[in-house]
Amino acid sequence: MERRTKEYQPPKWANRFLGWFCREELLEEVKGDLLENYLLERKTKSEWRAGVSYWFHVLHFLRPFALKRKTQDSNFNIMYKSYFKFAWRNMQKHRMNTLMNLLSLSVGIACFIFISIYINKELSYDKFHREADSIQRVVIDFVDDQGVRIPDATTPPALSLALEKDFPEVEASTRLFPAWGSKFLIGTSDQQRFYEKGLIRVDSTFFDVFDFPVLHGNLDEALNAPDKIVITKSMALKYFSKVDVVGETLTVYSFDNKPHLVSAVLEDIPDNSHFDFDFLTPLTFYWINKNWGWFNFYTYIRLSPESNSNEFENKLQPYYETKVTNPNDKNNIIYTQPITTIHLRSNLKFELGANGNMSNVYIFSALGVFLLIVSCLNYLNLSIAHSFKRLKEVGVRKVYGANKRLLIRQFLVESFLILIVSLILAVLFSELLFLNFDELLGSKISLLDADNLSILLTLSLGVLAFGLFLGLYQALFLSSHKVSNAVRGIFGSTGKKKYRLQRGLLIIQFTISSFMILGVLVVQRQLNFIQDQNLGLDVNQVLVIENISSVNNLDLFKSQLLNIPAVESVTSSNGMIGDFYSTTSLGYPNSFVMNFVNTDPEFIETLGLELISGRNFNSALEVDKQGLQMIVNEQGLESLGLELGDVGRLLPLDKQKGDSIVYGTVLGVVKDFHFRSFKNEIKPMALFYNDDGVNFLSVKLATDGLSESLEKIESKWKEFSNGTSMDYAFLDQTFQTLHIEEQKLKQVLLYVTVLAIFVAMMGMLAISNITIQNRKKEISIRKVLGASLSHISFSLTKRFVLLVIVANIIGIPIAYRVMTRWLEGFAYRTSIDLSTVLIVFGIGLLSVILTAGLRASNAGRKNPIHGLRTGG
Amino acid sequence: MKGTQLGEFEELVLLIIGVLYPEAYGLNIRQEIITQTGRKVAIGAVHSALSRLQDKGFVKSELADATHERGGRRKRLFQITASGKRAMEKNHELRNSLFNQISDLALKGLNFGETN
Repeated sequence: MERRTKEYQPPKWANRFLGWFCREELLEEVKGDLLENYLLERKTKSEWRAGVSYWFHVLHFLRPFALKRKTQDSNFNIMYKSYFKFAWRNMQKHRMNTLMNLLSLSVGIACFIFISIYINKELSYDKFHREADSIQRVVIDFVDDQGVRIPDATTPPALSLALEKDFPEVEASTRLFPAWGSKFLIGTSDQQRFYEKGLIRVDSTFFDVFDFPVLHGNLDEALNAPDKIVITKSMALKYFSKVDVVGETLTVYSFDNKPHLVSAVLEDIPDNSHFDFDFLTPLTFYWINKNWGWFNFYTYIRLSPESNSNEFENKLQPYYETKVTNPNDKNNIIYTQPITTIHLRSNLKFELGANGNMSNVYIFSALGVFLLIVSCLNYLNLSIAHSFKRLKEVGVRKVYGANKRLLIRQFLVESFLILIVSLILAVLFSELLFLNFDELLGSKISLLDADNLSILLTLSLGVLAFGLFLGLYQALFLSSHKVSNAVRGIFGSTGKKKYRLQRGLLIIQFTISSFMILGVLVVQRQLNFIQDQNLGLDVNQVLVIENISSVNNLDLFKSQLLNIPAVESVTSSNGMIGDFYSTTSLGYPNSFVMNFVNTDPEFIETLGLELISGRNFNSALEVDKQGLQMIVNEQGLESLGLELGDVGRLLPLDKQKGDSIVYGTVLGVVKDFHFRSFKNEIKPMALFYNDDGVNFLSVKLATDGLSESLEKIESKWKEFSNGTSMDYAFLDQTFQTLHIEEQKLKQVLLYVTVLAIFVAMMGMLAISNITIQNRKKEISIRKVLGASLSHISFSLTKRFVLLVIVANIIGIPIAYRVMTRWLEGFAYRTSIDLSTVLIVFGIGLLSVILTAGLRASNAGRKNPIHGLRTGG
Repeated sequence: MKGTQLGEFEELVLLIIGVLYPEAYGLNIRQEIITQTGRKVAIGAVHSALSRLQDKGFVKSELADATHERGGRRKRLFQITASGKRAMEKNHELRNSLFNQISDLALKGLNFGETN
């Protein structure tokens, strides 16, 4: 009968698939047509392509007319209907249980979604550039005479051009010259102008390296003349109230007062770019193109895709050493950073924006995974506990002829039902989280964004796999019992094993919880520690006004401010806490890097520094203002190799051209003070009496009438600055923002931990419920025989207490290690002491008492007669 | 009733059944459609249309004898029924009458992009 041509066989699986879904009565003609077509195609096409085409045609039979009919009262339909009905009845019968299940699971999944999207965003930085993998930032670390390496993101202006010329693998390069904290007055006319800080000056090759989405204009010619300017969409809307503004003009009052032609409008810079800008204008400082000694440009290069970045990096250092003119610079270390790693891994001085932190990403991912594990374990635990109650049902089903396969189907339907509902709940819940935490994430996010769809998909698959496992497990476990025992609701010997598994799961849950509790406590302690640290300066009631270069007569303005009664003192400086970024090389013959600030005699009083030796600057003495007299902090004094007694002595500072040595004097010494985040140690710092680059005005205010004095200061400001608005901040707030990452961490950690404890407690509650129910008779007998309530409660609770103790013994040492590592990231840190550990223990025990203990004492109070009559 | 309507693709299949008479079956109908109209259709689409036509009573079918090039499987041969013929005629007449009602002016006005 088989007369088929043996050599040509259509794909077996396609045929099998067809047979599965296609109606019997159509199968013969359909298969015949398909085979005939296949044989025809095999004459002209390859086996593979004919196979694909065969599959294509098979799939095209997935149409209503060809599908097997499932009539309404087919066995199949009725069975599934009954599964759903039973699932629904079961959920209703144990409403509390169902609710707990749904809640704990969806909360866990929602948090996981939230955290994975956060991490996804952190990892996505700068990947939107088309050739993101080939873009590198070249940076140079300073190395001083003592061999101390000071990481620095800036490079000399000559570097970019030289690299492009001398290295064939460098396909494009560009320099960035940011605003360095100053603001530019930009406007369409004299009436409509604003101070803008998002202006970066770049080479015309900027868009050869980076890809920012453009809305209007031609990027190839956008920056090829000095009078061009590229702006973002929101700036176009701000100045012109429309988006297509190519050809309009904007005047940059601050540097050349000339109209600039808008040559392109970009989409707003994505959140996941490590630098941000609103305006781009071409660099016009041609005279510095050969300068190897200045460090104030950022250099980005794009390597050719086939080149090896390591090889390139190896060639850099010798090349750099041949180029530099200053012999000191030869010690510096030049290297490259892939642009995609900058956000999470680079923490250099002068970063273009605040970067993230890889260790936070690790901590967050651990949290997400932990919480998901806890809630899945919990669900597993609850449903296993719950399935004991259903042993009877399973027994009866078996008596009526249900086999393993049918039971599996039923439990699968039930677990899928719950999981799908909780998945939907979780998605809704995570959307809610996104709405409330967009500040934390720094941007608006939704799970339903196309970018995040893959996360949703993976998660759904994971959840469904979990449901499959769970349903199978339940069904196999329950159907493994002898029918005769099952009908009576008696577990075989496996019952005890079951408890062992559940206890194991509980231990894991509580281990994770105790780990997280300890984590939260340590982060909390560290943040408190930071806040209570003696800063060495008084940041309260200090108002910092930015941009005072736009004030016409600074001295007059200062003296007018002092006339306001609430103003205690006023000082101007070229940097502020967190922003003290000026450094200079100091000391001869051994030079080191000294941080410095240009300021005036009032600085010490306004910021509440403590002068421990010597004297303050004196405005009457001209010699104080020459830049060679300074006040240093204790670190600075030590780095200069001096002691307190040396104050006032002449010391060599630097070697000028022609080998003449410059001498200076330390006028006074102030106590060390924190001028950067607590992650950094206090570095040497010097104050100079000088108004170079002065841009900040700090005003110390009296405690009361704050808003009133603020108003007065603002009105004075208006008088002196041609009506531009005043930018100000309070110093204590600025100081807090230095630790924003840790604040975020604390917040998220706290929420997640509370949730984890909550979920673990639910598990505990459910298990203790079951235990008590199974021991009802025992409790009643004990009571009848005269056991006290406390005795009964204790005998019921002690197992759980033991459980939590074991969990803590496992969890705390691990958490201790991890958190000690985290603390090592801080220069000033607290320690983990015994009391913290005890608190963790306490919280664990408290949660046992709140769940199992209460449940037990409740059971102990019941009239024993009920237990004796009905208990199993 | 759905039985009264003849869809565009269904009409095409019906016509081709007529063209191929008495040898019309799924695969050669599909090939005829491809060669006559250049439309790429899947075998499943043809079968689906055939099944609809049969449901509406426009075609009848019977299984032919087995042939060896189909692995011993029989093919189902289709023929137009009387009501299928009527439906085709009705469609044809309707088109013709509508086409004839179009005034010459309208057709001239639309010179279909040809210059004169």
